[in-house]
Amino acid sequence: MNTHPYLRAYLAGVFLPTLVLPLLLAMFIVVRIVLQVPVPIEQAMIFPMAVVPSLFGLWNMLWLGSHPHTHLSIGMHGPILPLLMAPAGALVATCLHVLEFGSHGVTWFHAFQVPYMLITPCFLAVLAGYYLVWKYIVGFLNRVLGIA
Amino acid sequence: MNANDELRIKKLLQQALPPVEDNPEPGRDLWPVVLRRMDARPVAPPWFDWALVAGLAAFAAFFPASIPVFLYYL
Repeated sequence: MNTHPYLRAYLAGVFLPTLVLPLLLAMFIVVRIVLQVPVPIEQAMIFPMAVVPSLFGLWNMLWLGSHPHTHLSIGMHGPILPLLMAPAGALVATCLHVLEFGSHGVTWFHAFQVPYMLITPCFLAVLAGYYLVWKYIVGFLNRVLGIA
Repeated sequence: MNANDELRIKKLLQQALPPVEDNPEPGRDLWPVVLRRMDARPVAPPWFDWALVAGLAAFAAFFPASIPVFLYYL
């Protein structure tokens, strides 16, 4: 099983976002249809559906290619991704009017208020979540697929 | 390739490859080691990772609006 390691790395990377995407879609549908909150599903789903899985796969391929030189563990490689994804996601969300900047904070999906003072803790939580996800889930998949 | 070349390649290969011993079996029985490794429990996550999980759960509980934002980036 030594063939196509980068393809296996891509597949291991896209596994989790592909799994989370239907859950996210279901959550948005429940919020919009059941709870009658006007969440813009179409705009909100573009970034998680079109960008995030591909970025996860490419990031895992990058780890596979760079690991012999950097010796960076998968758990430390993963949290670097939000440094690129957070501004990109915020830019896409702003352009699609999913994210709006107010005087006291930002509003996500026309429904969820995040005060400015909580943006840094939010970002740190995302980094911690990415560390755990990459270390335990993507790392496990890499071992299962024979590339780690 | 003439006979001289073949002879030279044969000598080079013999020099490069170590000779096979009379008894190529390993010095000890490896099967118990394999069984021990199969029975061994996986290494438990360090306390730092558990603390991160607890911190994330607490953050999500105190600030549920962060959950969809986190999922947006996942």
